[in-house]
Amino acid sequence: MTSHRPKTETHPLSLWRHLNKLRWLTLATVFIMLLCIPAISLYQTYVAAHGYALLSSSQKIFYDGMELLTAPFTDDPTKDLAVIKGNTWSGTFFGLQLSDPLAVVGQIAASLQVYWPFAITALIPIVLTMIFGRFFCGWLCPATFIYELNTNLAAWLHHLGLRSGQHLFDRRLKYLVLVVGLLISALTGAVLVATVYPPAIIGRELYYAIALGGFGSGMVFFMLTLLFDILVARRGFCRYLCPGGALYALLGRYRLFRIQRRVQHCNDCAKCNAICEFGLNPMGDDFGQECNNCTACIAICPTDALAFVVRIRDQPEQGEGHLGARYRKTHGATEQQPVVLR
Amino acid sequence: MEPPCPPSHPKNALEVGLPRIYPEFCKRLIRLLLGVLALLLPCVLAVPPALAHHVMGRPSYKLNEDSNTPPSMQVETQIGNYSVTYMVFPAFPRPNAFGRINLYAVRIDNGKPFQGKVRFLVRDDSWFRSSEEVIGEQPVDDNVFRQGFIFRHAGDYIITASFEADGQPYTIDFPLRIGQPSRIGIIGIVVGFIIVLLLVVNITQRRRLLNAKVREAQIKRHE
Repeated sequence: MTSHRPKTETHPLSLWRHLNKLRWLTLATVFIMLLCIPAISLYQTYVAAHGYALLSSSQKIFYDGMELLTAPFTDDPTKDLAVIKGNTWSGTFFGLQLSDPLAVVGQIAASLQVYWPFAITALIPIVLTMIFGRFFCGWLCPATFIYELNTNLAAWLHHLGLRSGQHLFDRRLKYLVLVVGLLISALTGAVLVATVYPPAIIGRELYYAIALGGFGSGMVFFMLTLLFDILVARRGFCRYLCPGGALYALLGRYRLFRIQRRVQHCNDCAKCNAICEFGLNPMGDDFGQECNNCTACIAICPTDALAFVVRIRDQPEQGEGHLGARYRKTHGATEQQPVVLR
Repeated sequence: MEPPCPPSHPKNALEVGLPRIYPEFCKRLIRLLLGVLALLLPCVLAVPPALAHHVMGRPSYKLNEDSNTPPSMQVETQIGNYSVTYMVFPAFPRPNAFGRINLYAVRIDNGKPFQGKVRFLVRDDSWFRSSEEVIGEQPVDDNVFRQGFIFRHAGDYIITASFEADGQPYTIDFPLRIGQPSRIGIIGIVVGFIIVLLLVVNITQRRRLLNAKVREAQIKRHE
């Protein structure tokens, strides 16, 4: 018995669909780094303290394990292992100091002055956001890694009979959170936006848990956001409440790289709309400033109708996809059925 | 021209023991060195003696480097006009054993050490146990505020150092671990459970859930 595989057509744009795999790899790498950095920091503390004999048995196992892993790369862990420090809020990456733009804006609000050495560290993320849009949210944010897994958990619970929240709110709510957060920061002199900003919370809490021995109240807040996403709105915190997401969306409003639908290849299957975590409408050419270029829609599109283009604005609505039944019916298309790619 | 000295008859005492070759050069060199030493001697005497302390015979100029009493944790932070450094000794404090905190506070603008008093408080850093206790109030001692402690129970604690400078209150929290408290608390168990659940569901159900989502979106679209 022979199997009949569908005839496939290949073109360069079909490579875009693999970006989603790369994105998951990036998200996982960032998350693993956030686990490794405090572990390395703890190991460096033990080494600097010259106190191996004073360590408990579990600490000795940890020490020996870290020594085994790092020995091929360094003779002086206290110095050589300090090349990556901090977290996604602010850190040093092989000598390059990088900060979240929200950290800088929060510092400016709290101190009511610009501390330029710190402000400059946000320059690269800002420029990248102006080119790639809200890419931090989709590609680097450690909270996204958990939130996307949580979306599937909500769907699974829904499948089991527990109705997950599908409420819709005004997306502009998060800009209000950003403004109020900055105002309170200005009034109190403390960067309070960091207390409700999931990537900052995760970086901080993982450090607390590994290096200092326990989670803090930030982790409770983060778990509440997971519950909010399950019970109230899918990816509700990112969509409606995240102050960092609001800032990135504003910075990336006129981004250069954006996803666009190629209407002549679209079959109106609506898979892109179903997969979009932010509830956007790629099938209706509605990406806007909220799109985080996560490429999930590109990955799922069966006809490769979605691709990156260089434009500073979205394409106006292009109407029904030319491969869709409705379009072909209204336009009386009689040509041969186009080849299905997947 | 004076003939070279015969090897068996040195001219004076200075020449005794010098190499037989180039005696004039050696004499000049020694004179030069003595002159330099004579010039340097007043400079050496004018410099105050180094205030090095010795721990079990090993000189240590910095307590956090190459010391037999290394700090378990050194935290440096900036607050207001001050840069504050906090250290805990010994390296791994244990219950019922004496330990101490050293705190340095210097002005960021001119490096002048803070000379007032610092109050140290402690609270248990575990959930539902937040009562705060004063450990003591310490005056400055050689630009350092030293606070001794003995903890009866292992655990994670927060040390709060507070002082008043320029009419402003300063309060800084630092972590302190005593002994080996349990690393996994209630939140740790909950977080661990959620992470395992998320991973299991995503690994085993991903494809099915994806199809369900697509089906649902298509139904909505047709409605």
